[in-house]
Amino acid sequence: MKKIAIVLSVCLLLSAAAGCAPAVTDSEKPLVVAMELAYPPFETKDSAGNPSGVSVDFAKAFGEYIGRKVIIENIAWDGLIPSLQTGKADMIVSSMTITEKRKEMVDFSDPYANALLAILANKNSGISSIDDLNQPGKKVAVKTGTTGDIYAREHLQNAGRIELADESACVTEVVQGKADAFIYDQLTIYRNWKTHEDATVAVFIPFQDVEQWGVAVRKGNTELLDKLNAFIAKFRSEGGFDKLTQKYLAEEKAAFEELGFQWFFDLK
Amino acid sequence: MKLELIGLTKTFNGQQVLGPIDFSDTIDTLAVVGPSGSGKSTLLRIIGGLLLPTEGRVMMDGEEAGHDESSLMLYRRRIGFVFQQGGLFRHMTARQNITVPLVHVHGFTQAEADARANALLSRFGLLSQAHKRPGALSGGEQQRIAIARAIAPRPRLLLLDEPTSALDPEFTTEVLDMISELKADGIRFIIVTHEMGFARHACEHIAFLHEGRLLEYGPSEQLFAHPQTPEFARFLSKLLEWNIVRE
Amino acid sequence: MKLRELFLQNRNEKALPLKAALNLLLLTVIIVAVFWLSLTAVGVTFDFSFVSEYRTRIGQGFLMTLLISLASFAVSLLLGVLSALGQGSRVLMLRYLCGFYVKFSRGTPLMMQIYLFFYIIGTAWGIDNRFVAGVLILSIFEGAYISEIIRGSLLSIEATQWEAAKAVGFSRSQTLRLVILPQMVTRTLPALTGQLASIIKDSSLLSWIAVIELTQTIREISADNFKLFECYFLLGLLYLALTLPVTLITKKLEKKFSYET
Repeated sequence: MKKIAIVLSVCLLLSAAAGCAPAVTDSEKPLVVAMELAYPPFETKDSAGNPSGVSVDFAKAFGEYIGRKVIIENIAWDGLIPSLQTGKADMIVSSMTITEKRKEMVDFSDPYANALLAILANKNSGISSIDDLNQPGKKVAVKTGTTGDIYAREHLQNAGRIELADESACVTEVVQGKADAFIYDQLTIYRNWKTHEDATVAVFIPFQDVEQWGVAVRKGNTELLDKLNAFIAKFRSEGGFDKLTQKYLAEEKAAFEELGFQWFFDLK
Repeated sequence: MKLELIGLTKTFNGQQVLGPIDFSDTIDTLAVVGPSGSGKSTLLRIIGGLLLPTEGRVMMDGEEAGHDESSLMLYRRRIGFVFQQGGLFRHMTARQNITVPLVHVHGFTQAEADARANALLSRFGLLSQAHKRPGALSGGEQQRIAIARAIAPRPRLLLLDEPTSALDPEFTTEVLDMISELKADGIRFIIVTHEMGFARHACEHIAFLHEGRLLEYGPSEQLFAHPQTPEFARFLSKLLEWNIVRE
Repeated sequence: MKLRELFLQNRNEKALPLKAALNLLLLTVIIVAVFWLSLTAVGVTFDFSFVSEYRTRIGQGFLMTLLISLASFAVSLLLGVLSALGQGSRVLMLRYLCGFYVKFSRGTPLMMQIYLFFYIIGTAWGIDNRFVAGVLILSIFEGAYISEIIRGSLLSIEATQWEAAKAVGFSRSQTLRLVILPQMVTRTLPALTGQLASIIKDSSLLSWIAVIELTQTIREISADNFKLFECYFLLGLLYLALTLPVTLITKKLEKKFSYET
C-alpha cells in the first residue's frame, strides 16, 4: 500500500507542478517584451551587451507609461510568436510587419511605422527591377519567415528561393553571386549596399503596398492592446518617434530624404 | 639439429640487453632459465627470427637466418613459436587458428588442414573446444591450442616463451604434460621457463642466462646438481628456498 | 510476490517479458502525462492538420536527409581511413596534416565549419551545388571522428597479435588481410554505425546554408504556418525514425562481436 501511496503522490506532484502556469495578467509583474536583437538600429545590443535600439527605447517608454518594469527577452525570429503563445512574453516589439497570417496567431496594435521592401542585387546579375528577378534561373535569398520571404513565396514563383537563417548569410550569398538578390526592408538593404558597393546594386523602386509594423500581443489580451494604442498615439503626438530618429537614424533619414523615400515613422 | 649463435648482441635504445653470446651445439630439448630481465625472451625471439640481432648471426643446420624481412619470413615458417599468452588470433576459432596458417602459409588444401588440425585436437583432448574462440577457452586450453598450432606444420624447431607463466597452477601441469608428450614424439624444442622441475627432469640440456650473458650450459641433471657459477647457485637457492623447507 | 519486485531487477539481469512490458507501459503513461500536462500548462494545443498539406515537401526533405547522411557516411569513412593511416605515416607533412585535420574538425563547431567551407573555400573552388557542398562539409567533419575510431581500434590491437602473425609465417599483406582487418571490423563496426546516427542528426545543421533537407523543410513550413511546436515535434519523430533503427543495429552488432571481451 505504501508503494501505491508514493505513486499517487508523485502523480499529484506532477499535476500540481503543471498547474503553476504563469498568471500574466498580474499588473504588478514586469512587462516581458520579446524581440530578436539582430536588427540594428531597431533591435540590437550595445557594446556592453545590453539591449539597445529604437524598439528597446520604445518598449521602455511604454513601460514607464503604464508603470511597469520592462524586461527585454532576446528570442530568435522563429520563436517570437510562440513565445507569446506560451506566455514567455507579453508582447513583441521586433519590427514585425502586420500580415493576415500573423493576425490569425496574435493581435496587433495600431501600426507605428511604415516599411517597404527593397532589393539588394549582385552587380553582375543584371537586375534593375522586381520583374528582372521573377525569372526562371534567378535565385533570391530571403531570411526565413520575414516579409521578404513571404513576398518571394507569393510573388516570385518563377525564381528559386534560398531561405537562410540570418541576414548576413543572405548578404554574403548576394555578394558572392550564389544568389542573384536579397529581398529585405529598405533600411537594411541601404546599409548593406553601402558596405558592399563594389559587389552589389540596390533597387529601391517600390514593388508592393506599404507594409506596416505593429506591436503583437497574445490573442484576446485587449487590456494591454488598448493601453498600447493609447500610448502609440500619445508618443507620436509628443514627438517621441522624431527623437528616436534623431538618436539612432539621423544619417539614414538624410539619405532617405535625398532618395525621396517616405520615412519609417511618417504614417499617412 | 644444429644451432649456432655467433657473436650475438642486442641493443635497445642504446642499452645492451643481450650478449655477446657464442654457442654451438645440437639441440634436442633445451630449457633456458635465468632471472627476469636476463634476456631470455630476447634471445628466443632472435632465434625464432622475430627480432633482428644488433650484431652477430644465427645459423640453423648451417643455414643462416636472413637479415631482411622476406628471407626472415621464410626462416620463420620452419619454426614454431608459442608466446607467454595472447598469441592466438582472437577472431578465429581454435580450429581456424591451426588451419588458416596451414592453408595460407604452408600450401595445405582446406581438407588437408582440417584433417591435420582434427588429428592434433583429438590427440590432446581439445576436439570439443575446436569451435570456440580464444576468449571462451581457459588459459590452459589456449596455450595447448597455441602449441598445437605451432607444431601443426611440423617445424624443425619449437620455441616456447614462458608458456605457463601466465597460467593458474592447475593449468600449468596440463601444458607441461603436453610438452613432454611432444618430447616423446621426438619434437625438438627450446623452452624459456621458470618451472625448474620441468627444466631439470624433462629437458636434456639447460642454459643459464644472467644479465644478457650465457653463463652456464650443459646436461640439466648435472648442472642442477653442481652449479658451476655462484650466480646460478644463488639463482637456484632463491627459487628453491620454500621447496627445500618443505622437503 | 512483493509489489516492489514488480519494479526492481538486479543490475546486469534482464527482466521477464511481462515485467518489462508492465514497466515500459507505466513509463510511457508517465511520460505522456508529463508531456500532456506541460502542454496544457502553457496552453498549447497540437494541430497536425498541416501535415497532409505539406506531405510531399516533408517526404522530400526526409529523403534528402537520408541521402545526405548515407553519402556523407560513405565519404567520411573514406576520409577517416585515409586520415587514420596518414597519422601513422612516415611522411611527416602528411602525418602532421592528418593530425591537424582531426584536431581542427573535432575542436570547432560544425556550424562554423559549414559557413567557413561553404562561403570561403566552396566559393573559391567553385563548389556551388548546395547538396555537394553539404555532403563534403559534413563528411570532412565526421571523417575526423571516424579517423579517431579507426585509429583507436588499430592501437587497441595487441602487439602479440602482430607478433603471432609474424610467428606463423604470414606476410605483411596476409597479416593485414587475415588478422588485423577482421579484428578492426569487429571492433569499429558498432562505433561506426553509432557515428551514422550522429551524421543523421548533424546533417540538420546544413539548413544553415539552405540545403533543403528535413530541418530546413520544417523551418520553412513553420515560418509559413507558425505551428512551431507541431513542426518541431514532427521533426523529432522523423529523426527518431531514422536514428532508432541505426541504434538498434548498433546494439545488435555490439552483441554479435562481444567475443572480444
